[in-house]
Amino acid sequence: MSSASAGEVAATSYLAHHFESLEKQQHAARLGMWVFLATEVLLFAALFAGYSVYRYLFHEAFVESSRGLQTWIGLVNTIVLVTSSFTVAMGLDRAGRGDGKGTRALFFVSVLLALLFLFFKYIEYSHHFETGELPGRFYRGEIAGSGPRLFFTLYFMITGLHGIHVIVGATILVVIGVRAGAGAYTPEYHVPVELAGLYWHLVDLIWIFVFPLIYLI
Amino acid sequence: MNPSSASDLLYNPRNYLNSPETGLRSWLLTLDHKRIGVMFLVGTTISFFIGGVFALLIRIELLTPGPTIMSAMTYNRMFTLHGIVMIFLFMIPAIPSGFGNFLLPIMLGAKDVAFPRLNLLSFYLYLTGAAVALYGMIQGGTDTGWTFYTPYSTTTVTKVVPVLLGAFILGFSSILTGLNFIVTTHTMRAPGMTWSRLPLFVWSIYATSIIQILATPVLGMTLLLVAFEHAFGWGVFDPARGGDPVLFQHFFWFYSHPAVYIMVLPAMAVISEVVCAMAHKNMFGYKAVAYSSLGIAFVGFFTWGHHLFTSGQSAMTGGIFGVLSMLVGIFTAIKVFNWTATLYKGSIAFKTPFAYFIGFLFFLVFGGMTGIALATVSLDIHWQDTYFVVAHFHFIMVGATVMAFLAALHYWLPKITGRMYPEGWGLVAAVMIVLGFNFTFIPQFLLGNSGMPRRYYQYAERFWPLNVASTAGASVLAIGLLIVLVYTLLALKWGPLAGPNPWRSRGFEWDTPSPPPPENFEVTPVITHGPHEYEEPYPDLPATAAPEPKHV
Amino acid sequence: MAERGSVAMEEHERVGHHSHVGRYVVVWAALLVLTLATWALSRLHLPGGWAIFVALLIASSKGALVALFFMHLWDQTGANRLVFMTSLVFVALLILIVLSDNSTRFRLANPPGSEGALPFAPTDYSMGAAKEPGPSTGQGAPLPR
Repeated sequence: MSSASAGEVAATSYLAHHFESLEKQQHAARLGMWVFLATEVLLFAALFAGYSVYRYLFHEAFVESSRGLQTWIGLVNTIVLVTSSFTVAMGLDRAGRGDGKGTRALFFVSVLLALLFLFFKYIEYSHHFETGELPGRFYRGEIAGSGPRLFFTLYFMITGLHGIHVIVGATILVVIGVRAGAGAYTPEYHVPVELAGLYWHLVDLIWIFVFPLIYLI
Repeated sequence: MNPSSASDLLYNPRNYLNSPETGLRSWLLTLDHKRIGVMFLVGTTISFFIGGVFALLIRIELLTPGPTIMSAMTYNRMFTLHGIVMIFLFMIPAIPSGFGNFLLPIMLGAKDVAFPRLNLLSFYLYLTGAAVALYGMIQGGTDTGWTFYTPYSTTTVTKVVPVLLGAFILGFSSILTGLNFIVTTHTMRAPGMTWSRLPLFVWSIYATSIIQILATPVLGMTLLLVAFEHAFGWGVFDPARGGDPVLFQHFFWFYSHPAVYIMVLPAMAVISEVVCAMAHKNMFGYKAVAYSSLGIAFVGFFTWGHHLFTSGQSAMTGGIFGVLSMLVGIFTAIKVFNWTATLYKGSIAFKTPFAYFIGFLFFLVFGGMTGIALATVSLDIHWQDTYFVVAHFHFIMVGATVMAFLAALHYWLPKITGRMYPEGWGLVAAVMIVLGFNFTFIPQFLLGNSGMPRRYYQYAERFWPLNVASTAGASVLAIGLLIVLVYTLLALKWGPLAGPNPWRSRGFEWDTPSPPPPENFEVTPVITHGPHEYEEPYPDLPATAAPEPKHV
Repeated sequence: MAERGSVAMEEHERVGHHSHVGRYVVVWAALLVLTLATWALSRLHLPGGWAIFVALLIASSKGALVALFFMHLWDQTGANRLVFMTSLVFVALLILIVLSDNSTRFRLANPPGSEGALPFAPTDYSMGAAKEPGPSTGQGAPLPR
């Protein structure tokens, strides 16, 4: 009974003036996030379409360029991101039980995993700079033709854009994690935790496709 | 119009214009969708003016076959800026972000859009994008045409990067507005507002928003790739590095062809409202019109390749795109027939919005039919990149969209400002605009058909007479638009008070006082009937009764 | 209020307070297994188009697991599912049509030096699939710088 009334109090303070109920507001927030994720998917779609075309047109060069990549980094990074997605999902579960501190801890684990991901990315990028495997006119690698130039343009565009999303997503996780730890959310209202999680899962989802396409040709 | 309105309701004293407070600060930081809508309208109108000036300069330059008033380079910049300003700064945001913002929540019976802060952000992204693009224009402009075709756009010496970034930012403004409208339509409808009771304006704006959401990100990415290629030389479109310039055209038109429907669907939204109100009749075939909006949005995505018929696209893809493009004609025809059927036995009030509806109908059918012709691959090879194409898309974009914009301006001016425009001047201007428009662009059809290419600085002497005719028409069109601008501005201050419902329209937006109060409705309305219901006896003298007769 | 209130309500109920820990663990394990599987299969160098087919199949199942269970699409109501599915349809549309253009093009229209373009010594001007343009590939064509 008392918990229900506490929920009522929380509900009124979270409710924006133009919504009539908290359920409706959360429904709107969720739908808004899904629509936003759809735009993110289509943002990457152009890059993946470009990748498909040039992979088709320069198949040999793409295979050869991909062999030059360190597959183990891609593999480890996939495992890292998948695991971070798992911890974020667990964090949401904690939030659903009103355990803000648990959410914070699990989100921070995810952020650490994200930093690990970026660290591996850094190793990889610096290796590319050493060997001259750079996009477009900066390519100084060994493979002849325009294929590898296009491959590395797409490689840097896709992983770079994805990397930016990792940074943004990790920042969101920090902010929401800190707020959850400070007790900002209740079992009835923790939609920000859910939305932060959705964003992070999308970052993971895109990497799941990047990994085989870039590393496992 | 409404002689027996109670004087205290002739002009709602506590409205969004003066409450909760006035002053520049309260406008710039407002979260009220009506104020944001009005700010968008002001911004887009200024852009329309700038774009119109560019258009006139182009027409003056083309008055003689040789150089007239500017150099070839200036001319190239001029038509590029005309295209960019008109499309990205005026036509895409004007009706959805301007009128849509103002009307959509009111029509749904909501207090605001779902995400008011995002809505304001959308406006500031619009301003930022406009400012960045303007910076590019001042820094020397760009000469690629608004289509930014590679490889020219990645090698030109003009300042293409700021303009690209401006368009990129404007895209995000468009995305946020679309996102807001989709969520608002799904979640903010008043009790009783079922999907089959949505006004047709909402249906069309909803369809527009879907396109904005799905297509705009692809354009954003594409423009970014071009900017990277121009700035750092590592793009993917440069044929010198194995890139495929036709791929750019695919990406560009994957957005920009649906973007035509971002411009036209809102125009259809306006017209569906205007035609019912002016004919005082229920919409003929409500469901067909509603679903055809979604149909256009869907099919619009399958047609982009008809811009690439002569670009090296494969013959098979070209053929498929040609056939698919014609499907748009089916859905458009459904709408045209239903609007026309709505007029049948209606009691038509031939006011200014109706005059623009007539213009709209003619231009849409004419522009649409030439579009079907252009979608035929073999014919397009003859017409591609001639003035025939220019005339065709101006019939749709200026003809249909600007007519609808003007119809909306006149129809909803009493709603937005509480004041009326001068009807006599309105009709005079409408006649000038419709006739001037025809005089501008019908000669261009003829020019294109006899082979005058678009975007050329000089032309053969045999094209001279028709070009003079076109420029003359453009001047009439410009004077008509100026008259509209002048009397609208005057009406803001001195126009007669319009009363709550000067058109006796049954649209839901007229159920609130004019101008609407800041929270739209004192009590959340309960919707008990469909939109555009003229069948049931009209509650006479709506103003003397309760201001919101439908509300509990 | 009535019908839409219930949409929001229903969603609230479904996404709400259930414990999903067990489900998360299973999905996580499955994702790890599939990741290792796709890596191992890539070592086998499957012939022809099978490698990419298998890789994309595994990636899609992983993506489906993430979307359905981590992102709770499984528990969502209609609109949210529809939004995401629609975006995927349009991704497929863009990729497939663009690809079908490049693969059926008149060969002179594909970028020089690519496998879709003419081989170095042009003999075949026919339109149609440029699947196997001959021995010459990227390396054979004249190159910029």
